[in-house]
Amino acid sequence: MERENEMRTRTSASVAAVAGLISLPLALTGCSAFGVGDDSDEGGKVTLTFQSLAYQDTTIAATQEIVDAWNADNPDVQVELVQGSWDNVHDQLVTQFQGGTAPDVIHDESADIMGFAEQGYLADLTDLLSDDTKSAVSDDIWGTVTSSDGAIVAAPTLLQSYVVFANTDAFADAGVEVPAGESLSWDDFQALAGQLGGDGGFGLGWGLQQPTAAVMNLSLGFDGTYFEGDAINVAENELAVPERIHAMAYEDGSLDPVSLTQSGSDVLPGFFDGRYPMYVAGNYIAQQITESAPEGFNWAVLPPLAGTAGAVQAANPQTMSVAAESEHVEESAAFIDFFMQAEHQAALAQGDWLIPSSDTARELVAEQTAGENGWDAILASGEGLSAAPFQSAVNYPQWKDQYATPALQQYLADEITVEQLQTQLTDGWNDLG
Amino acid sequence: MTRSMRNPVARPLQYLALLAYMCFLAFPLVFLLTTAFKTDREIRSPDPSFLPRSLNFDNFTAAIERADLFQAAANSLLTAVTTTVIVTAVSLPAAYALVRFRTRLRAVATGWILLSQVFPFILIIIPLFLLLKDIGLVNTLLGLVLVYAVWALPFALWMLQGYVSAIPVELEEASAVDGAGRFKTLVKIVLPLLAPGLVATSLFTFINSWNEFFFALVLIQDPDMQTLPLALARFVGAEGQVQLGPLAAAALIACVPSLVFFMLIQKRLTAGLLSGAVKG
Amino acid sequence: MTALAAPASPRAPKRRKSTEGRDAWLLVLPALLPVMLFSVYPLVYGVLLGFTDAEAGLNAETHFNGFDNYTALAGNELFWNSFKIGLIWAFAVTILQFLASLGLALLLNLDLRLRWLARTLALIPWAMPPVIIAIMWQLMLNPNYGPVNRTLASLGLPSSINWLGESAIALPVVIVVGVWAGMPQTTVTLLAGLQSVPAELNEAAAIDGASTWRRFWHVTLPALRPIITAITTLDLIWNFNSFALVFVLTAGGPGGTTMLPSLFAYNEAFRYGNFGYAAAMGNVMVVLIGAFLILYLRAQMRSRNS
Repeated sequence: MERENEMRTRTSASVAAVAGLISLPLALTGCSAFGVGDDSDEGGKVTLTFQSLAYQDTTIAATQEIVDAWNADNPDVQVELVQGSWDNVHDQLVTQFQGGTAPDVIHDESADIMGFAEQGYLADLTDLLSDDTKSAVSDDIWGTVTSSDGAIVAAPTLLQSYVVFANTDAFADAGVEVPAGESLSWDDFQALAGQLGGDGGFGLGWGLQQPTAAVMNLSLGFDGTYFEGDAINVAENELAVPERIHAMAYEDGSLDPVSLTQSGSDVLPGFFDGRYPMYVAGNYIAQQITESAPEGFNWAVLPPLAGTAGAVQAANPQTMSVAAESEHVEESAAFIDFFMQAEHQAALAQGDWLIPSSDTARELVAEQTAGENGWDAILASGEGLSAAPFQSAVNYPQWKDQYATPALQQYLADEITVEQLQTQLTDGWNDLG
Repeated sequence: MTRSMRNPVARPLQYLALLAYMCFLAFPLVFLLTTAFKTDREIRSPDPSFLPRSLNFDNFTAAIERADLFQAAANSLLTAVTTTVIVTAVSLPAAYALVRFRTRLRAVATGWILLSQVFPFILIIIPLFLLLKDIGLVNTLLGLVLVYAVWALPFALWMLQGYVSAIPVELEEASAVDGAGRFKTLVKIVLPLLAPGLVATSLFTFINSWNEFFFALVLIQDPDMQTLPLALARFVGAEGQVQLGPLAAAALIACVPSLVFFMLIQKRLTAGLLSGAVKG
Repeated sequence: MTALAAPASPRAPKRRKSTEGRDAWLLVLPALLPVMLFSVYPLVYGVLLGFTDAEAGLNAETHFNGFDNYTALAGNELFWNSFKIGLIWAFAVTILQFLASLGLALLLNLDLRLRWLARTLALIPWAMPPVIIAIMWQLMLNPNYGPVNRTLASLGLPSSINWLGESAIALPVVIVVGVWAGMPQTTVTLLAGLQSVPAELNEAAAIDGASTWRRFWHVTLPALRPIITAITTLDLIWNFNSFALVFVLTAGGPGGTTMLPSLFAYNEAFRYGNFGYAAAMGNVMVVLIGAFLILYLRAQMRSRNS
């Protein structure tokens, strides 16, 4: 009996000790080490949170400069810069929108935000952006940030296009002239790959591990629109790009099929060591090429690829939006206007090697870079960027993950026929209904 | 421990097997190590040499500058240590009670433990986030501590139950017969026997808090409060672009504390049971 | 365990039960309370969500829709295909991981030289966030320039294997990476378990002249059993739910051959905004995996008690 009592009190003592330990962090609540309770009260001042996804060091610095300039000019509306990352921004925003804690000003891309726009999470900026901002960007590009009910939900900032990089020394060695001109037709491109390849070598490497975006964007050059409203249409025009890629890999042998299963960066060393005289990738890869190519590596950007409908590609601009639940939508829009000014966009574009969607900023970049390092061809490829129907098809993201990407991967690995590809793409969409 | 002494062939074979394991487990670290000292050009070189051509610390300075690594490490450390202390303090008595006092609680606890681990974590993130927001813990490390503790508790309880079960109950009873109270029995007999299990469990809690990424991403906005995995994510860009050199350097810096912590604590994985507890 | 404990107990069983029941509550409550607060609510919320049509959207309305999600799910071939991949992945990784870790734990338990170093190195995969692991393995497995193919080439073996890009081998390769990533945890757990096996048991058996193998089989393994059960159960659950590693390594490709169910549910919730439907997938996973686990745990308990 005695022993039991003792045991019980001891147990209670240990329980109390444990309980004390648990309350420890709660007691620390006041302690700022845990970040609790240091809410800053700035007395009448408005503070906007701006989450930027700037990635290259130069772009991060340029973004910081723009924010600093704004903060100096606007003592009453301060912008706080928060750094996010492209890799996770979508998941982060989904959760933060649910909780109502999203940043005021949101940096993202058109392909990602249009779903949020339809869900009502983005503020309508149609009447808030200035005329200067609006007139600097073509209507075609505005189309990529306009929701189905006609509201502009973002300002389009920078664009990327798919371009062909060429190892000019390899061209010279093969006795092939580096093409020039307004555009490069797919037929000529394929012929070029054949000339440069041969003898078991390849003419071209193309990292298409995630093939859907590239195929959809480039298909616009053949009028391959894939969608009419919410109905899918996969016919000759839509299949032109995948068929040509497939033919280069498995009929001509000019495109390394292994590269098709890799990411763009994985293929890059093969471009550097001459394994691939040509390399297709997003134009921003130019930055990596200038920074990490071996000494004495000579390269160029070929004219934009043109299909039967011309050198057209779907535009997927980076965007600046405002959260619908932000308490300071107007101030945020004013900041975006400031952010969209030509000199700011030109600085950002050069940091990331992307194409400004603003015409004035584009001219500025042409002037500042003097077209060096492939900038002339890169900027030229920006001329043909426009909105595409797939961007407004509601179930597109799901179709892309569940049907288009696996089917294209299988087709590009020569595991299914083009007819099967066509069926899988069509039936998949109809299954989603 | 005496078993292998008898067989002269066994020892070299054991070293050989251990070496094979080490190659498999540590090779990527060696790869990371060499990458961290290479220049961008060397990394992208089509003919990469295994060792860097020269020791180049640019990646480390770049990593530290760009991502504010030390602040992030301090935040991670504070979060992980607090979580570990809480989880260990709470789960040890609970696990013991669940095993030794066979109440209905055990079935309930087991059911809950399994449910909480089977239901995809990614799907409870949103309700959890809403809950933390309601009590004002968004953008705080305390919020992270709570989430990590709650997430690690089921594991700790579950594993510690396993370790408690493995201790022969006769040992405790012998001690009780000798007149020791339950508390004394716990401290003198059970705790030393559980030490390796406690080490394993707290290590797990520590490292999982240290590595957790997604919830931190969602909860923490303030740059001064970011944890290490968030800092590392800075080196990954869109469409598979990676700043490999700085990333490798940062990853190396990030995993050193875990390894040092383990190096210090690994002895405890043997300390438990060398003296004969039975005779106690 | 009861079989052992009850007859040896010096106290009357009845009284013991009631007071100990209270002690149990006192000991367990501090753990359960915060847990109730912070995990039961989100879990219950998540489970209930599986019976609604919840969708992402500002001010979106949510209604209970009974079993609609489940009838839809029953006909969702892609989900079941991914479920099958998840089972293959989870069982393969868990079993291989267990065997490899047991071997390593036994080695690390021996009194070998540089044991402290080996023990620390064995922890390496654990010390890195999954995202880093995935990026690193991608580089290592690069078909043209990765060290893996280069090593094979220098050994004169086939060296142009496209590890992550070929649908026939992508899943096995991802499984190997999964084993690598999860080994430290299982190893440390088993090592700690080995240390808890009372040395006396082994010594007694050794004095009886039992061979190393017989001692392992008849003494060590049975003593380790509760820990083996605990860790394999958890490993299986975690592997079935594992997410970050495969997400970065292959994102479900090529051709959907590595689309784990958690990836699938994640896409449904986070990319398409169908929270209700995704939670229903979570519920299905809980029910099916839970049923398997109960059977497994029952069998383990029974053989332990007999």
